[in-house]
Amino acid sequence: MRRLPAAFVIIAAAFAPWLAYAEPAITIKAVDLKAQAASDAKTVASLPANTSVDLVERQGAWVQLRSGNDVGWGKLFDVRLAGANTGSTKGGAKSLGDVLGLASGQRGASVTTGVRGLDGETLARAQPNPQEFAKLVTFQVTKEQAQTFAAAGNLAPREVELLK
Amino acid sequence: MQHRRHRIAASAAAALLMLLPGAWLSPPAHSAEPVNPLSGFSIGGFNVGKMIDAAKDAQGLGDISEPQEIQIGESVAAGLLGAAPLDTNAQEEAYVNNVGRWLAIFSGRPDLPWHFGIIETESVNAFATPGGNIFITRGLMQRIHTESELAGVLGHEMAHVVQKHHLADIKKHSTQGLFLDLAQIRGGGGLRGDAARAFARVGLETYARGLSREDELEADAIGVVIAARAGYEPYGLASVLQTLATVPSSDADMALLLKTHPSPNDRLVALEQKLPPWFDTLAKPNPALARFNQTFKPSSASN
Repeated sequence: MRRLPAAFVIIAAAFAPWLAYAEPAITIKAVDLKAQAASDAKTVASLPANTSVDLVERQGAWVQLRSGNDVGWGKLFDVRLAGANTGSTKGGAKSLGDVLGLASGQRGASVTTGVRGLDGETLARAQPNPQEFAKLVTFQVTKEQAQTFAAAGNLAPREVELLK
Repeated sequence: MQHRRHRIAASAAAALLMLLPGAWLSPPAHSAEPVNPLSGFSIGGFNVGKMIDAAKDAQGLGDISEPQEIQIGESVAAGLLGAAPLDTNAQEEAYVNNVGRWLAIFSGRPDLPWHFGIIETESVNAFATPGGNIFITRGLMQRIHTESELAGVLGHEMAHVVQKHHLADIKKHSTQGLFLDLAQIRGGGGLRGDAARAFARVGLETYARGLSREDELEADAIGVVIAARAGYEPYGLASVLQTLATVPSSDADMALLLKTHPSPNDRLVALEQKLPPWFDTLAKPNPALARFNQTFKPSSASN
């Protein structure tokens, strides 16, 4: 077996949650798979709406999709993860996964501990906890600390207008 | 040409302001300037962002000073923390505070006393109080995979603070007497215990009832811009919404979020319509952000 450079292994490990598995997904409209994550890249395949695909990787607005032997980049907004609820009503909408008989998305697995969650009743019963707020204040960082953190993360300010 | 258009706009806006009752009264006491669709545009030295803010204040928030807003927010935060305690992992809390404090610089209200906290509940949700306290639940953290996704969620909550969505709702549902209690802190000092408890109750009711659909979609659109301004790829929020769309609506941990927000799918559709194609260019891979996985180890339970 070829040995992988150590740096590659470290980077791959850091991205492990994304690389460990391809997520089952489905196209919600016709998708042209592009050779690169760019609109002007060559189209390698065209998938109709409701095609089951594997979501291999994410890159900003783009997701790398695999359908059979075809691999290419489509728009994030043109797919939903398998099991996604595509309804628009609050609460009662039907899951796409239910309709298509897909397995529920791995990332959406339920986490239960038996502890009662934050619902209306819990909120109504809550007694204020000023000590806990005092603890929250101790976690505060200064603007300067945040700037140092941002620099370490290669985050540079950009001018972006609000969306119309 | 452009000058002329600006002048016309400025006089029209000034005329509009004079028509609004109360708009000519003292300006709001808060010094920071909320993000709004026109903030940052200066027209003949007259800042349109401030102008819009004054118009908004004429609708009823102008009498709440920034110190008062902060006091209300502290009361609501203490209330929420009474329902779910803080994560005690200092490293995790520092990480969330660093991301949040960095984002705040680009929020339009950079000088609020911003606090960020992870709270221990499996419920999938995030909360903002007036004055700049932002909470994200463990249940949501477990479904977040990158720093950009975290920035997307924090940006959304921050937008609620900047646009004073909760403050407006709290004011709407509070008694006048409660607001008389606020007068005592106009010049500093804290709220009386019973007033603090009353604001906590009203604030928690707001969380249980939810804001309007418009407020939520506006927070999505502004939050994305805050994240993009801070250097994050702006699709983090969309990525989280995609994950949340897969959680079955029957899952109790999702109940409050689904009851109080448009469905994740609806929010994705709305966001897609709002994001211009060139936003693509703001999304370059950033390997330095892999640091997320050093603090928030991928948990096999949630993945």
